Amino acid sequence: MNAVEFTNITKKFGDFIANDNINFNVLNNSVHCIVGENGAGKSTLMKVLSGAYIPDSGYFNIYGEKKHFKSTHDAIASKIGMLYQHFMLIDDFTVLENVILGNEISKGMKLDFPAISTNLNELIELYNLGLDINKKISELSISEQQKVEILKLLYRDSNILIFDEPTAVLSPYEVDKFFEIVNKFKSENKTIIFITHKLKEVLVIADCVTVLRKGKKVYEAGKNELNIPALSKAIVGEVSHRNLDILREDKETQTSALKLENISLRKNKIIVLNGFNLELYNGSIHGIAGVEGNGQSDIIDVLCGLEKKFTGKFEPATLRTGVVPDDRIKKGMIKEYTIGENMILKNYKGNFINHKRLTGISEYIITEYDVRVSDIDSPMQSLSGGNQQKVIFAREAESDSEVLIFAHPTRGVDINATNFIHNRIIEQRNKNKAILLISSDLDELLSLSDTLSVLYKGRILKTFENIQKLLAEPGGNNKLVESVGKLMLGIE
Amino acid sequence: MNDILTNIFTITFAAQIFRLFTPYYLGASAANFSERGGIINIAIEGFMISSAFSYALFAIVTGNSLLALFMAILINIIFSFFFSLFTVKLKLNHIVTGVGFNLLMAGLSKFLIIFIFNSSSNTPRFEDLPNAPFLKEIPHIGEVVSDYIIIFTIALLFISNYILFKTKFGLRLRSSGENPEAGDSLGIMVRKYKVYGVLISGFLSGLAGAWLAGNQNSYSDGMIAGRGYIALAAMIIGKWKPTNIFFACLMFAFFEALEISIQISGTDIPSQLVQIVPYAITIIVLVAFVAKTKPPAADGIPY
Amino acid sequence: MMSVKNKKNILSISLSVFATLFITTLLLLIIGKNPIEIFGLIFQDVFASGYGIGQTLLKATPLIICGCGLAICFHASLFNIGAEGQLNAGSFAMAIIALKMSGLPIYIVLPVSIIFGFIVSGLVGLIPAIIKIKKGVSEVITTIMLNFIVLGIVNYLLLDFFAVKSTMRTEKLADNLLIPKLSEYFELFQGSSLNFTFFIAIILAVAVYILIYKTKFGYKLRAVGFNDTASKYIGIKNNKIILLAFFLGAGITSLVGLNFIMGYKGYFELGFSNNLGFTAIAVTLLAKNNPIGIIFSALLFGILDYGGLTVNQQVPKEIMFVVQALIILSIISIDKIVDNYYKPKK
Repeated sequence: MNAVEFTNITKKFGDFIANDNINFNVLNNSVHCIVGENGAGKSTLMKVLSGAYIPDSGYFNIYGEKKHFKSTHDAIASKIGMLYQHFMLIDDFTVLENVILGNEISKGMKLDFPAISTNLNELIELYNLGLDINKKISELSISEQQKVEILKLLYRDSNILIFDEPTAVLSPYEVDKFFEIVNKFKSENKTIIFITHKLKEVLVIADCVTVLRKGKKVYEAGKNELNIPALSKAIVGEVSHRNLDILREDKETQTSALKLENISLRKNKIIVLNGFNLELYNGSIHGIAGVEGNGQSDIIDVLCGLEKKFTGKFEPATLRTGVVPDDRIKKGMIKEYTIGENMILKNYKGNFINHKRLTGISEYIITEYDVRVSDIDSPMQSLSGGNQQKVIFAREAESDSEVLIFAHPTRGVDINATNFIHNRIIEQRNKNKAILLISSDLDELLSLSDTLSVLYKGRILKTFENIQKLLAEPGGNNKLVESVGKLMLGIE
Repeated sequence: MNDILTNIFTITFAAQIFRLFTPYYLGASAANFSERGGIINIAIEGFMISSAFSYALFAIVTGNSLLALFMAILINIIFSFFFSLFTVKLKLNHIVTGVGFNLLMAGLSKFLIIFIFNSSSNTPRFEDLPNAPFLKEIPHIGEVVSDYIIIFTIALLFISNYILFKTKFGLRLRSSGENPEAGDSLGIMVRKYKVYGVLISGFLSGLAGAWLAGNQNSYSDGMIAGRGYIALAAMIIGKWKPTNIFFACLMFAFFEALEISIQISGTDIPSQLVQIVPYAITIIVLVAFVAKTKPPAADGIPY
Repeated sequence: MMSVKNKKNILSISLSVFATLFITTLLLLIIGKNPIEIFGLIFQDVFASGYGIGQTLLKATPLIICGCGLAICFHASLFNIGAEGQLNAGSFAMAIIALKMSGLPIYIVLPVSIIFGFIVSGLVGLIPAIIKIKKGVSEVITTIMLNFIVLGIVNYLLLDFFAVKSTMRTEKLADNLLIPKLSEYFELFQGSSLNFTFFIAIILAVAVYILIYKTKFGYKLRAVGFNDTASKYIGIKNNKIILLAFFLGAGITSLVGLNFIMGYKGYFELGFSNNLGFTAIAVTLLAKNNPIGIIFSALLFGILDYGGLTVNQQVPKEIMFVVQALIILSIISIDKIVDNYYKPKK
């Protein structure tokens, strides 16, 4: 029996077709993976299924029953639950308040706290979630917060569970734990729709895979017919080899550009940096690996001079830094401004802005950084994520900074833009800039870094020199990945 | 003899504090219910003007103070419905809308007082709201304990805490002010709750204005005199928590009572400077003690 | 071809004007007046004589000035509700310093009192800016509180130290220290107190326009207003921008004193501003914070203000407060509705 039948689902945003006549079936009591690049339409499709978006055409059959969802309420009534990639939690609420919201058990007007507590604690025990229902969300770690989201699904007794890239925020060990929970769900006759773009996970968990590309369904396979080359080709489509790979120049003598010694920092009484050491050299890329939330953003704030309440030594006292921050829209750009206007905020000589010069700057960036834009005077918010990232990258690279910081420079960016940005990072290295690369993507870190440090709970656990040399050794890649992976979890 | 005098002074003084406290706490609670749902309401001042004037108008026209109270509240609820139309339905900036409504209410009352009563300053006198008859006879505090609205206002401390933290409605209202997307993902009609928050705001500020007008037996132009703004200040100092707001309002009332007794005593402290004390205190308290005031996370963000 | 943005603006402005006329007509009908007669009277009195035009421009002048100051703050997303206090502090300081210098020639007195008034207003504006930066307290609440505080202090200083006995005003400046009236040069404006401050206001509006839209400072200012997290990471010193915006914005509001004190009455009088600081908020919002637009929205409010006086026999002039409030409410809502109409549907 099919749990969900996607029937001719089409969803448009203006002229843009996010989902183009999608048809496929999800078997009951299976794990169905939906794979695709960023912007392939996965999240949109799931938002349609969860009732957050109303499709322009098409409908669902849920356990054989035809449904038109008009709101999230309708989907919840059909026992569909979604674990969002960006958690839908209220920081100032307790676990209990977050979980019951929308499905409150009341006695008259009053919330029935004893009944709710019993119910929740039973579920927590049954699924081994280890949560304290009276703690506030702001006191929980990311993986605990994810468990709260799971508890929300359990509490609602959802049968069809949508997981939107749930492993993106988890360490490898936590991913294993998460898969245990998924399997438990399956053993209880629930259906799981699992969104990811990590092929390894698909191979481990999937009963069936559907691939989306540019809003269309392009590939579908059951567990037994899964074939990695076909799958990856379906995901990526035609890879353009337009971008030249820039070679890494050898650098002999290296001069230190920046030295941080024993930096410690507290935020709201919590230690976020704990004796952090870092030295950056000109013409070298220093990668920082680590599970997110181990002090990465605080390092950036210290380096950019936005956080001054730290203890420890920072040399030199003044430093021109350029930063591509981790959150593009929130921290990286003024989305109401055009490309040129975003550029002049950092790189403009003179006090008066002349429209002609502004256009000139925009045109230069568009050609030099291969930014795709229909109208050079349109605001940044009308650009795709990859193009926005290129503009931000351009702004920082073109500034006369001594140190460049790239935080997750290719997150949420398609493969072509990723290649482009990777090449440009190497180019900046060759121009003798000192570069700090912060990423949670180990492949990215290994292919770009000269030096790689592992960050854990606000301090560097270990630093590997000469990464490229290590990788060139036989079996070097696996050895490095294994030890970095363990360090990231603080196991070694 | 001296002791008794001091004693009487204290009780009267305390009673006075509770009288001054009443419009502040009603106004501050009004603002709080709106902000807990995520709608910043700086139009409390305007809402209090509107209900004070409406109470006066209907008290004079009908001679029935209960009917006047009902109309004052009804009119305020209608206005607050429009306020929610602007802030929730159209998602307009809350501060801008608040400024607009304040201008409208102030303008309307200035215009109507001349147009209807032919005076630029005062309406004719009218009846106060009815009191509890027996309690009124109690010496010194009779005026206070017999006043239903003062008693309701004190009870509002418990009512607000109960509604906000112990009921389904309160949970949903607060979720709308903290993270509307989360509520939306769980099937809650977030906007509906935001509107409810604003309507409660209209109701409570309606009580505040009507009580003030009734208490002075006349409406005069400018009689609200910034009380709506002090109420906002009390809400912020009270960190959006009914209990803390209660004490913040008591503090403001205390200083106002002190100001009045200083004025009566005829010392040479200039009255203009005494009048700015509550405002100065607000800034000092905000700067010195509540530096990290944390409003509801999505307060003021249109959704 | 007309851009969507222009189409939107033209549509929303014309709809707003229509809505305003409609609401005003309705209001007049409700209170039993003949709208045609009232509009006719206003039109005749405002436009048919040089005096009427002069008085209208006189009313618009302080609104343009104060609006320009507020526009700077608003562009940085600083909700300065404190213009009423700021402009009173500066104007009062301006009047006092000018009085102290009587005997000196105008070319010394005028610049010195302008600078002094500007600095005093600017300093009042710095208070909420500093509290916001140091303590993270919203400027909305501090500027509201400061209005009451500043007005109380001005009131005290004026009545206890500077006022002419049993009045609420300072002494009058010598005639040779006043900014000349237009009527001295143009027969047309005979009887009107319109003075050269009007031209200063226009020049100010152009200057503030250039500052906001054509300078690097303006770009940074608006960047902070759009997204103060991103601006920080881009390397803009947000705090510096906030301090400057508040100092300049509040400082500019002091220039309304030029019109009233140095150009019109010759003295500072308690309550002279008559909620100007709040009306200017409406004027500024109406113009979407664009200084050139502010000239026109201030003119509209000037017409209403003076027009209200001319029909006071028929309708209490206070009706214009209602009309002004309705204009601002109808414009912000119509603007949004038009905006939604043009937005691609989700």
